[in-house]
Amino acid sequence: MIQDHIMFTGINILLAWSVYVILLSGSVSFANGAFMAIGGYASGVVTTKFGLPLFVGIPIAALGTAAFGMIIGLPALRTRGIYLILVTTGIAFCVKNAIESIPYVGGVRGMRGLVGAEPWHVWVLVAIVGLLLWLLSRTPLQRILDATREDELVARAMGINTVYVKVIAFGSGAALAAIAGGLYAHYMYVINPEHFGILVSVFVVLYVILGGTNNMWGAPLGATVMTLVPESIRGLHEWRPIVFGVVIIVLLLVRPEGLLPFRAPSARVRDARDG
Amino acid sequence: MLAEQILNGLVLGSMYALIALGYTLVFGVLDKLNFAHGDIFMFGGFVAVTVLALGAPLWAGALAAVVVCGVLGLVVELVSFRKFRSHDAQITAALSSLACSIILIDATQKIWGTEPVGLTLATAIRTASVTVAGLRIAYVNIGILALTLVLMILLYLLITRTRMGRNIRAVADSAVAAELLGINVTRVTQQTFFVASGLAGLAGVMLATRTGFVTTELGLTFGIKALAVMAIGGMGDLRGAVVGGLLAGLVEALATQFGLGKFGDMAVWLLMIAVLLVRPAGLFGGVRKETRA
Repeated sequence: MIQDHIMFTGINILLAWSVYVILLSGSVSFANGAFMAIGGYASGVVTTKFGLPLFVGIPIAALGTAAFGMIIGLPALRTRGIYLILVTTGIAFCVKNAIESIPYVGGVRGMRGLVGAEPWHVWVLVAIVGLLLWLLSRTPLQRILDATREDELVARAMGINTVYVKVIAFGSGAALAAIAGGLYAHYMYVINPEHFGILVSVFVVLYVILGGTNNMWGAPLGATVMTLVPESIRGLHEWRPIVFGVVIIVLLLVRPEGLLPFRAPSARVRDARDG
Repeated sequence: MLAEQILNGLVLGSMYALIALGYTLVFGVLDKLNFAHGDIFMFGGFVAVTVLALGAPLWAGALAAVVVCGVLGLVVELVSFRKFRSHDAQITAALSSLACSIILIDATQKIWGTEPVGLTLATAIRTASVTVAGLRIAYVNIGILALTLVLMILLYLLITRTRMGRNIRAVADSAVAAELLGINVTRVTQQTFFVASGLAGLAGVMLATRTGFVTTELGLTFGIKALAVMAIGGMGDLRGAVVGGLLAGLVEALATQFGLGKFGDMAVWLLMIAVLLVRPAGLFGGVRKETRA
């Protein structure tokens, strides 16, 4: 039980960061549940159908999903704001329906026999991704992302290839979600398309928004709180979804900027301050 | 029967259109997505089922559904949209309204249980039909089509011919300008939510009458497709919602006819993605302000 919580908290942190990475470039993705599904299924095919170990399956799944994400991202990222929310929601529905109609991976009944992921695998990855994101926040790349997010026109005028930036960010987010999906699948033993419904995608975005989008620490905090809150109200088992919904509404009303709204100072500010 | 499926598609499409009109009205006024809308539609069916179970006639059930759903719409507006007016709060408002729909689904399950609930309406009424040129048409389907048509005409008149409609159009055009001209934007937003949610409730009653039962999953399976329908037609455009709805209904019915069941579920979304990529403003929409940063 405790092990489950540790595992799912870690997975949700990875997923929240996968949305955060995309959000850094100014795009919103409601398709990360679908990327997670593709990652889970792809790594599952590699381990169960080809008999290769998990540490081979996950990178293959990550690369494949990143490629998929970039291919659909290229046209999809022409849209923005609400339009992008709708396009990515559509992608999430299509991927789920597509998986349901592929008999090779079990269709609606899903895939079984997926084993091998341990909670510590997930937490090592959380540490690595966290370190990468922290390093990113200290490099000029962060400023490129900031510029693309805040004003694409100005960013382009400064010579930033915004399409490239957005597609790469989208692909990275997809890969991260796929890794989380692969680990999730190999912890669950059985996966079916219902595990990756539209609500999964939406909840991941919710983690990031509740935690705060201005810095890299909001996403993991939001994910942790939202994974553990439903557990801590177990006494109210019957009323869990309602309490959960009310908590979300109240948090959004009280902290519309997220739980951790501060902005990390940019590298240039830090340099000036430290002399 | 191809003709029968086309008719089915039109009936299905008119219900999509009614729900999509609600999405598009709210989007027009606020530039925001109301994720609770699909579940307000679902709730409308449950209200009607309950009222009918008390022995009331169908029109009373429909009226109750409109009023209850309208009030629910006002509640959603208050908790999920009132505070998030700025353009940057689009995602926040969408997620907050999603939380409303989680609460609504769970409350529905608490009250009516998780099993489908049957409609207490004589089966004879639901299945009575007339045969025209070899085509069997259920009266229920004729009723749905006719009622949808009437509602659309009424909505058109409301938006174009009344003071309330003029205010709604003004706020949709520019909330700031409307406010400067002395229009109470909050009031207009409430009116929009009431009308939108009432229409959704009525669509819920129609679906319940047609299928004979309601389930709590309808919002996420049926209602949310209307979101795609809205985008296909052009967000904030009433004609678009109607045309998009009928188109989606027809495509889905034809996919079933030719044995592409799963594809039928996907078709609406694929169509939406295609339309948004080629013409982000939808089939009918003009150039809107947020197409540029």
